[in-house]
Amino acid sequence: MPELPNRMVGIVACSGEELAEGTVTRLAALRVLHEMRPDRTVTICLPLFLAGGKGDRAFARFYPTIAVDGCEKRCAARATEQLSGKPAAGVIVSDLVREHGLGRPEGARRLNASGLLAVDATADRIAGLVDELLGAKWDRRTGALVELEPGPAVSAEAPPQAGCACGSGIPVAKVDVDGRTVSLAALPLIFEQFREAGKAPGAEVTQELLATVKVYNDVPAGADEAYRAVLAREYAVFLDHERAAR
Amino acid sequence: MSPDARNVMVVPCSGIGKTYGTVSREAAYEVTEDLRAESTRLVALSLLVLGDDEARAAVAANPTVTIDGCKLGCAEKMVRESGGRVPRSFAVLDTYRRHRDLKPDGIAELDEGGRRLAHALADEVAAAVDSLTAGDEEVPHA
Repeated sequence: MPELPNRMVGIVACSGEELAEGTVTRLAALRVLHEMRPDRTVTICLPLFLAGGKGDRAFARFYPTIAVDGCEKRCAARATEQLSGKPAAGVIVSDLVREHGLGRPEGARRLNASGLLAVDATADRIAGLVDELLGAKWDRRTGALVELEPGPAVSAEAPPQAGCACGSGIPVAKVDVDGRTVSLAALPLIFEQFREAGKAPGAEVTQELLATVKVYNDVPAGADEAYRAVLAREYAVFLDHERAAR
Repeated sequence: MSPDARNVMVVPCSGIGKTYGTVSREAAYEVTEDLRAESTRLVALSLLVLGDDEARAAVAANPTVTIDGCKLGCAEKMVRESGGRVPRSFAVLDTYRRHRDLKPDGIAELDEGGRRLAHALADEVAAAVDSLTAGDEEVPHA
């Protein structure tokens, strides 16, 4: 199966408001996103997995994701796995605090000195995991690293199109399937990758398209034929538009 | 779960991508820690996303005020999906429209405009809490 570009790493912080450790996750994630790895990371608000659309729910299937949790409840990791996809890695602040022998973070609203040190340690751990994931092959279905290797440097590319206030949206295309409008996450990028690979329309390529689409979307049982017809048609239209634009 | 002694739950959105999410968080802290600490309790949105039993019970048994940073309204949606009653919901942008001079900036740390906007929002939320605790507002059933 073709592999889509693995450009960015997703970070999902629990941001738990009740605990100081939740504030640590938020501040550490923001530091990595804005200061330490700004061109290589993207985030999404955790509640968007339920409140958002299909593109939001595809987040962890689209990006190798690091779940950053404040406590052992692991809201970010568990909710991400349940609602989007299995995170590729996880960080738990309370574990890091013990590991580094730090004092207990206190002050959800204003962190104490130990909390600020925990932010440092957590941000460092997240940044290290980002580097590791960008240098590794990653299985979108299982969230697991396939193999670890140095790999080429990943080029910084434009962030994905904004789909919400967080700027975390995943490209989604709307298509007509048997008279019903269906949103397919990642379809524009899938088409683009197939075009770049020189794949001409045909039955075999259409089947390959369907298999790739299924990685990011739920295709109802018995609907394969209808989806194949739609994908064949839309891919041809996409190629025509691309040719006309060049 | 029986109604909480601090009987109004406050749920801010967990917005991490824009400054409005931080304003909602700061306003929620101001209400639950400073302005109406005796009558409110902060509930973490992440727990509701996970389906935590205690958090769901808290919003199901008590009126809940939500504070959202953007139009997607994650906090309000999540509370309703968790079986909660939302007699009052607030949006940071609405408060900003009433206080155009308080333009917020900063996500990890709010600037002066953001802090003042959060304070203005917190005042609005506190007034809603007063109305709810005084029984002036009907609390809808879940």
